[in-house]
Amino acid sequence: MTRSLLAAGAAAALMLTGSACGLGSTGTGSEGSVSRVPELAPDQEVSIVFESYNFGQAGAWTDTFNELIAAFEKEHPNITVTAQKPQGNSANPATDTISSLQSQLTAGSPPDVVQLGFSDLDFTINELKALPLDDLVGRDAVQANFDGARHPYAPSARTLGDWEGKTYGVPFVFSTPMLYVNKKLFTEAGLDPEQPPTTWAEVRDAAQAIDRRTGKDGVYVDCLTKTAKDWCFQALVRSHGGTVISDDRTRLTFAEKPSIDVVRFMRDMVREGIMPNRTQTQAVESFARGDLGMILESSAIQGMFLQGAGDAWELGAAAMPSFEGKQAVPTNSGAALFVFAQDPAKQRAAWELIKFLTSERAYTTIATKIGYLPLRTGLVEDPGGLESWAADNPYLAPNLAQLEHLEPWVSMPGPSYLQIRDGMMQAVENAVFQGAGPAEALRSAQQEASALLPGGER
Amino acid sequence: MVSGTFVEVAPPLRAREAGVVPASRESWWTRARRIAPPYLYLTPAVVLLVVWTYQPLAQTFVLSLHSWNLVPGTPMEEVGIANYERLLGTPELGRSVWRTVVVILGMLPFTVVIPVLVALLTRRVRGRAQGVYRALVFAPMLVAPVAGAAVWQWLLDPSAGAVNRVLGTDVNWLNTTGTAQLSIIVITGWHVAGFAVLVVTAGLTGINPDYAAAAQVDGASRSQVTRWITLPLLSPTLAFLVLMTVLLSAQWTFPLIDTLTQGGPVGSTTNIYYLLWEYGFRHHDAGLAAAAGVLFFAGFIVVAALLTRLAERLSHHDD
Repeated sequence: MTRSLLAAGAAAALMLTGSACGLGSTGTGSEGSVSRVPELAPDQEVSIVFESYNFGQAGAWTDTFNELIAAFEKEHPNITVTAQKPQGNSANPATDTISSLQSQLTAGSPPDVVQLGFSDLDFTINELKALPLDDLVGRDAVQANFDGARHPYAPSARTLGDWEGKTYGVPFVFSTPMLYVNKKLFTEAGLDPEQPPTTWAEVRDAAQAIDRRTGKDGVYVDCLTKTAKDWCFQALVRSHGGTVISDDRTRLTFAEKPSIDVVRFMRDMVREGIMPNRTQTQAVESFARGDLGMILESSAIQGMFLQGAGDAWELGAAAMPSFEGKQAVPTNSGAALFVFAQDPAKQRAAWELIKFLTSERAYTTIATKIGYLPLRTGLVEDPGGLESWAADNPYLAPNLAQLEHLEPWVSMPGPSYLQIRDGMMQAVENAVFQGAGPAEALRSAQQEASALLPGGER
Repeated sequence: MVSGTFVEVAPPLRAREAGVVPASRESWWTRARRIAPPYLYLTPAVVLLVVWTYQPLAQTFVLSLHSWNLVPGTPMEEVGIANYERLLGTPELGRSVWRTVVVILGMLPFTVVIPVLVALLTRRVRGRAQGVYRALVFAPMLVAPVAGAAVWQWLLDPSAGAVNRVLGTDVNWLNTTGTAQLSIIVITGWHVAGFAVLVVTAGLTGINPDYAAAAQVDGASRSQVTRWITLPLLSPTLAFLVLMTVLLSAQWTFPLIDTLTQGGPVGSTTNIYYLLWEYGFRHHDAGLAAAAGVLFFAGFIVVAALLTRLAERLSHHDD
């Protein structure tokens, strides 16, 4: 008995010493500046891997991206692109991006170009070490790409992938929060479908009317749950004069009065019975079915609403509503393209792919086929570009108008950024939909999350 | 001692040449050859067990003493027992343990009570119908959990779902803190009940029918036979089912939680495994997740030991 115990102990000790290696590295490795990569030689063959969550979404998304990759390979016959979706099995592949990239980095073979959301910006640059494009291909080349051949990027969109003055990611696709309305329900409720609400007080009144006169649900604000992430909650708080984190990124501020008031206003609509308790998926489906009067939602979902509306009801769109007497401040959701390639030739090829995917030509394809906003906004006035498409698309104007007041989606700092974000959104959800007190819920969440900030007690 | 064995090596060699090998005096080589086969047969299994189970277990333990965010570029930082302290300090741990207990208690009717009733009742059905009944009860087990979850999602939909229409209610079952856990328990129960029925049926088949026949000769009624003969003899099977429920409920619910509620609303369906998974693969906090894994592993060993001992004491064996 004692002998077998001893043997087991020895075996365990052996395994412990043996197992310490192979997990993580001891050096910091990729620190320091990245040297400029040479141009590809005319006959140099390179193959790169492009990982994008768009390949995980069947239909228009995948088809359009495959079409773009094929066009790129035709233009650059020496570069072969393998497109892949993030590893993982979430219903929404966009939530798998970081864990997929992390496991491939762990295995030592990251994809060369990766499409990652703005909420992950801090983590992507400071922890995952995306390569600085300014060092890789030179600041001039990066800026020249933003200026474009004919149409430059919208000024507010250019710096979304920057960190401390350096460009790491090229903003690629993004959307803004829009108020979508069901015109048929508006008419039935005696409201003017051509005059959608512009303030939150008007939204509440319209929702009451819809609820009372049609028996359908009034409004759903898809910014108040953990699943919705925090991009448009940030927009609501900023529209009310607050922030969720201080400008120097050292202090969380989401339990201060502006956010508490936002949460209280939304909670009151739930209590009144004009905003139903729904998950994100349920709300989107319900609106597409025509069972919901209004929804504040990302413009990326618009295609699904149009499809759902069909001939049964008509879709209307307006800019994000404002709080009384204040300017509405929309934030953007969406993603940028980052380079993780290790080999200089692949790094150069990766930049070529990014340049192609953010060109006028690619944006024309992406906007017409998927409906994403063209970041080169001049395209919508270009007869050779998107002019006719924009004319046929009445939902575009409010979306483009919002770019003027757009502020970036602020990512949370440090390695525990997701815990901070989730903690905040869970408190918001708890207060709005599950009956917790807004001030208490937000305060205790802020206290818990503050310990997770870099330099916090952890 | 050691030199003594060496001295003894020579004579048996000669003895073997002579064709006579006394059992106590064989060479180390012959002895090794005689003893080795069982160990050699075991080696592949043991190696696999070490590589796939004990080595990761040891790694998990090592990881639980480090702070690391799963990014290969960042170094693992040794933090001692800080992860355990942090884990035990979060209110979320206590809440998730309690939710796990609720799930286990909620699952018992589906894995013990209903299966026993169904198995006893289907025993009275004769002929082909019996097979059909059993197949019907077992069928949900064959449905992939994620596919079943999708169908349940439609049934429980707040505006168009069948459940609300039948009950005349207006509840968002999966997105209300009070009902989400209940829904998960019922769906999981629906899924595993068929398997439990199969286990109970097998247990019933193993009971010698002579006991019941003898009791009936003595004038025992059918319910008396069930109460005093069948159920006691079934107790080892029931103990096994209880053990399975306690140890595996949290795992059975995992795919359903992941597809239906993602631990929500507001964490109300986050049990210990989902919490561990969130720490590790959503928050990339490898150290904390490993600490949770080690803690749950230890906890379940204790629970399993207690339950096995309890089952030994309470079960009635047909010796």
